Formats: sequence, C-alpha cells, structure tokens
Amino acid sequence: MTRTISVDHLARVEGHGGITVVLEGNEVKKVDYNIFEGIRLFEGLVRGRAVEDVTQICSRICAICSHGHSITSLQALENALGITVTPQTRKLRDLAYQGANIESHSLHVFVLALPDLMGHPSAISLAAVAPDAVKLALRLKKLGNTVQEVLGGRAIHPVNYVIGGFGKVPTTDQLLSLKEQLKEGLEDCKRALDVLLTVPIPDFVNEPIRCAALAPEDEAFFFGNTIEILDGTTRKRIPVSDYRTFTNEHLVAHSHAKRSLFEGRSYMVGALARLTLNGDRIQGLARQVMEALKLKFPCANIVMNNIAQVVELVYSVEHALDLIQELFEAGYAAETPVPYEVKACAGAAATEVPRGTLFYSYEIDSKGLIAGADVITPTAQNFNNVEDQMRATVTQGLGAGASDDTIAQRLQIVARAYDPCISCSVHLVRV
Amino acid sequence: MKPKIGIFGLSGCWGEQIAILNCEDQLLDIIGAVDIVDFLGGSSVNDAESRLLVSFVEGSVANAREEAKIRQIRERSDLVVACGSCACFGGVSAMDAPFERPKVIETVYGSNGPIKSWDIGPHRPLSDFVKVDLAIPGCPMETTEFVRAVSALLNGDMPLMPTYPVCLECKMKENECLLVQRGLPCAGPVTMAGCDARCPSHNIACIGCRGPVEEANMASIEQIFGDKELPKEQIKLKLRVFAAPVLDRTEERG
Repeated sequence: MTRTISVDHLARVEGHGGITVVLEGNEVKKVDYNIFEGIRLFEGLVRGRAVEDVTQICSRICAICSHGHSITSLQALENALGITVTPQTRKLRDLAYQGANIESHSLHVFVLALPDLMGHPSAISLAAVAPDAVKLALRLKKLGNTVQEVLGGRAIHPVNYVIGGFGKVPTTDQLLSLKEQLKEGLEDCKRALDVLLTVPIPDFVNEPIRCAALAPEDEAFFFGNTIEILDGTTRKRIPVSDYRTFTNEHLVAHSHAKRSLFEGRSYMVGALARLTLNGDRIQGLARQVMEALKLKFPCANIVMNNIAQVVELVYSVEHALDLIQELFEAGYAAETPVPYEVKACAGAAATEVPRGTLFYSYEIDSKGLIAGADVITPTAQNFNNVEDQMRATVTQGLGAGASDDTIAQRLQIVARAYDPCISCSVHLVRV
Repeated sequence: MKPKIGIFGLSGCWGEQIAILNCEDQLLDIIGAVDIVDFLGGSSVNDAESRLLVSFVEGSVANAREEAKIRQIRERSDLVVACGSCACFGGVSAMDAPFERPKVIETVYGSNGPIKSWDIGPHRPLSDFVKVDLAIPGCPMETTEFVRAVSALLNGDMPLMPTYPVCLECKMKENECLLVQRGLPCAGPVTMAGCDARCPSHNIACIGCRGPVEEANMASIEQIFGDKELPKEQIKLKLRVFAAPVLDRTEERG
C-alpha cells in the first residue's frame, strides 16, 4: 500500500519549500524536497547591465548571505578584469566574512535550529523559559551585524563594496570599537558553550556525508582557488575556474532550484564540510568548543552541522580579533579602490559563505556590459544531498519503528540542519 | 490580551524578516508587547486563522499561490504593512530587463523540460492585489523605521514617512555632492529619504533602493545623467532597478 509523509511548508528556514516522501510499506519510493519559491531570474536580469551595477543587484539574491554574494561577485569581476586588490582590502573582506559568519550562524543555531533541540516551536516561546540563552544569542547576532555594518555600510545588502576595494574604508576608531565588542563577544561564546553543553543533539540518522570545500591558500579560511572533495580518504582537487565540472547543474520537475552532482553523486557544502576538510586549522577557544561538544570527523550525523556552525562562530570571533590586530600592525591607512579599464573578458571566483561554497562567474563585453552570468549557491548544491540524508532518515527511522509523525519531525530537523537558504537557490544557471 | 500580529514572506530575499530579527535590542520588548501568532519564518507552530491587528508582509507576488496568500492575509488583518521595496514596488525581481521577459526565463532555465509546468508570473507589488495601509520601502527596510512603525501602530497611530529625497539627508550630513561635484550618476534627488544617505556617505552613488520620492522628476534626472555621457538605455536601467512597475504607472498618468 502506498502512503505519503509530507511537510507542506517548512518552517524556520529562509524561503519556501516542502518535503514529500512516498512509501510502499516500509520501502521508500520517492523523496522530494520541493522548492516553490517564486523564480527570480537574476542571471537573466543582469545581462546587458554595466559591470559597476551588477554587484548591488546580485546582493539581492539573498539577504542573509548578501555580504558573501557581493564580495564573491566582485572577486569574479576583478578576476575577469585582471586587477588585484591590496593586502589590506583582502583582510578587510576577510573581516567582513567573519561578521557574516557570526551573524548567520548565531541566527541559525539559536533562533532557527535550537528550538528543535529544546522542544520548542520557536525562539519566541524559548525566550519565555530561557531568556538568558535568547539574549545571549541576540548579543552575538548583533556583534556579527555590527562587523558587517562597519565594513559594508549596511548589515543587509552592503553598499560599501566596489570593484577594487571599498567606497570608504572603516576608520581606525571604528576598528578599535569593533575590537572591544569582539572581546566581549568571546565571553559570550564561552556562555554559549555552557548553554549548548546542556542540549542533547539528536542522532537518529547515521549516513556518511560526502564533503566539499575550498582549500585555503593562507590563513584566510574562507577564500581559495581550488575546490576539494573528500571521497573516503581521497581528496580530489578541481580549480575554481573549472567549477562547472564540479557542480554539474541540472533541473528537476519538483524544484525551482537547480541541482548539483559530482561524478554522479551528491555532496555537502557548509560548516560541517569545511571543518571535515580543514578542521585542523581550528585552534584556541574554537578548538576547545569543538572538543567539548564532541565534534569528530568523519561525522555521519548531519544534525552535527549545527555544532560545526557553533565552532565556526567562535573561530570567526577569534579570527576577526586577529585580523584587526594584523591590519594595525601592517600600518592601516585609507585607500581608494584599485582602478580598472573595461574590456571583453571573463572570470570566475568562489568563496566560503556561511552555508558553503558560493560560485560566481561573468562574461563581460568590450563596452563593460555583462554578457553572461552564473551564480551557484551552497543551498542549491546541497539539495540532492539533503534528499539522500532524508532517504536515510526515513529508512533508518522505519527500521527502528518510528511513527510517520516522528519521521516528519525528523525530516524537518534534517532540512534545517543544512541551514537552507531557498531564496538564494532559485535562479541558478549558466547563460 | 496582547494584540495579535503576523509576519509573512512572499517572493524575495527574506531581507525584511532578517531586518525584523536584526532589531536585536528591541526584539524582546516587541515580543512582550505583541503576540506574534503567525510567522512561518520563525516558528513551526502557527495560527493561520485568527484575526490579526497588523500583518507585516515582505516580498513580491509572483504566482497564483502568492496572490491567494496576500488576499487571505488582507481578509484577516485590520492593517497590512508592505515591508521593503519588493512588497512596495515589485523590487529587483520586477526590474527592467535589457531583454524581453520570456527570453530572460529561457536564458536561465532553458525552453524545454520542467519549466513548462511552472506558474511563473511577473513580480508585482502588494498594492496590485490588495489595499496596503502602510508602505515601508527600502532594500532592505531600515530597522529603525520598522520599530517606529510598530510603536505607532500599537498606539493607534500611523508613522510619518519621509516625503523628501535622500539629497536632503545627504546635505544635512555635509557630504560632498556626488552628482554635482563628482559627476557620478546619483539617484539621491529622486529617491525617498529615510536611510540617512547611506550610499553617498560611503562615496557611493544612490541607486534608488527606497523607490521614488513624491513628485520625483524622472525626466529631469534622466537628462542630468545624459549630460554625463551615459548611454540612454543604461540610464533607464540604472533608475529602474527597484520600482519599475510603479514608475511605469506614474509615467502613464503623466
């Protein structure tokens, strides 16, 4: 007999999506992660627009990843135009990424995911019983936003990032003030650990996760020119300029977002993937948090992505403090953007944004207008992997005698564990 | 009993829901003053039936599902507040494309396959479908304007929205004029204020994300941009990123 387990509209995720599982007895016939967000066509809309206008438009693909979209877009344009930014700009952009990571991870872990783990429908109801935990989360979230605001001129859809650098670099006073706030943030990270040590992490699914992330070339963990994918114990490497041989996008009927497969199989990008590949870089308090919360690799419990985000949140606070120190040591000064001349050219770039690897590429014509654009977001790459993990969740749940309602609950926890950003995902394609 | 409110997202980038969550210093006070009973973005238990004092709605209407949703929100709400430029004007997804829309869709998704079965309309502002009681523009809306609106609405009042352009705020900050002194295509003169001139304060020309100010003289700004040797079609594209559907209607009315 055929029956269906479905979640019509996922709550506590960015964007509009649902889940449909079709079963025959205990056999899983179909797992669909349905994406019905209105399609937004960015890559089509930016064609014919000037290089200097396109980044502010692409920022609007996603609010929560807007700093990542902006900077990745700029790096693709800079690679195409053949300009190199100054070491100071590179560090300031890295600092902006730490702000984005602090904000995004504290929002997801504490506001969107923690209610699941503590048996609440929302952070609002959680605030009634655990006000200190919610206040702590809001303070950390605000810290991330302050960093983004200082660097980007606005927390959502930054205005200050341009080809070659910044409209206006932050003042020394602004950076000094950030430093003080980040130091307080470190104390909040310790308090956050105390809260999380009391929260049980569900382990209803045990399914190997195939991880991919950029290989960092220096201390900048979120930037790189090579994609690495871990297959068992083998690391396969692909240059970012060949990213299409990695992402291999295709369409499916039940989703307005495109899908990715590498060598015919799904893969995961995001905090857990980054730490699986490059976790040996994590030192200091972040390392202590990782050990205290028992995050070990390889990890076959996707729910632990929430914990990986906590570790990265702490890493980002520490790394931001280091970056400010390094900026001052190198003789921090006001700079104007590196100039450029338009020409017919093409270029690609990738960075690690909170949810994983984000790819951008542009073709530019001789008048400096966009002739082609391609954006591949982390969430879109993860969709196939989410379905694989959902299939395992259903099979393993039924095997252990779980009810359909319990399984529906677990499917939502799995979906949320990836911290999906559906708004981001609905427009990806080559033009 | 606390007044009941709802927070809804249609098609967009989630920017206004994030902006609401970004009111970190006021959030717990807001939760104390109102009962947020329907907020899919923040809660997995929602009351989709009861009467609401205010509904805050972000995003544009892009398909039949969203049209039905906004009509249903209107029916159960005393007040509907359009949050952000997508809800107010259609936003970036409704911006002018250098190519015809069917061509844009084909460019992104191809002409065959699943695309044929999808319901894909143009992105339109809420006011095309229902009465909107208050519009808070911005891409994203400013958190300060949201907090002020909540406070006013809970006290039976309407918040005052700026009726002057970004230029005025920019002058008050004593910024160098990007349009006149630097010759950059700055949309400050035709854009509604309220952002404290964020972009020009960073040496970046205003791109009009808050939509047109009352009685914006679009013909004049196009001419000024034209004097800066920008090609005509690029001027149109630059000025119509955030509010193309609304500007079209103003043009028709003359």
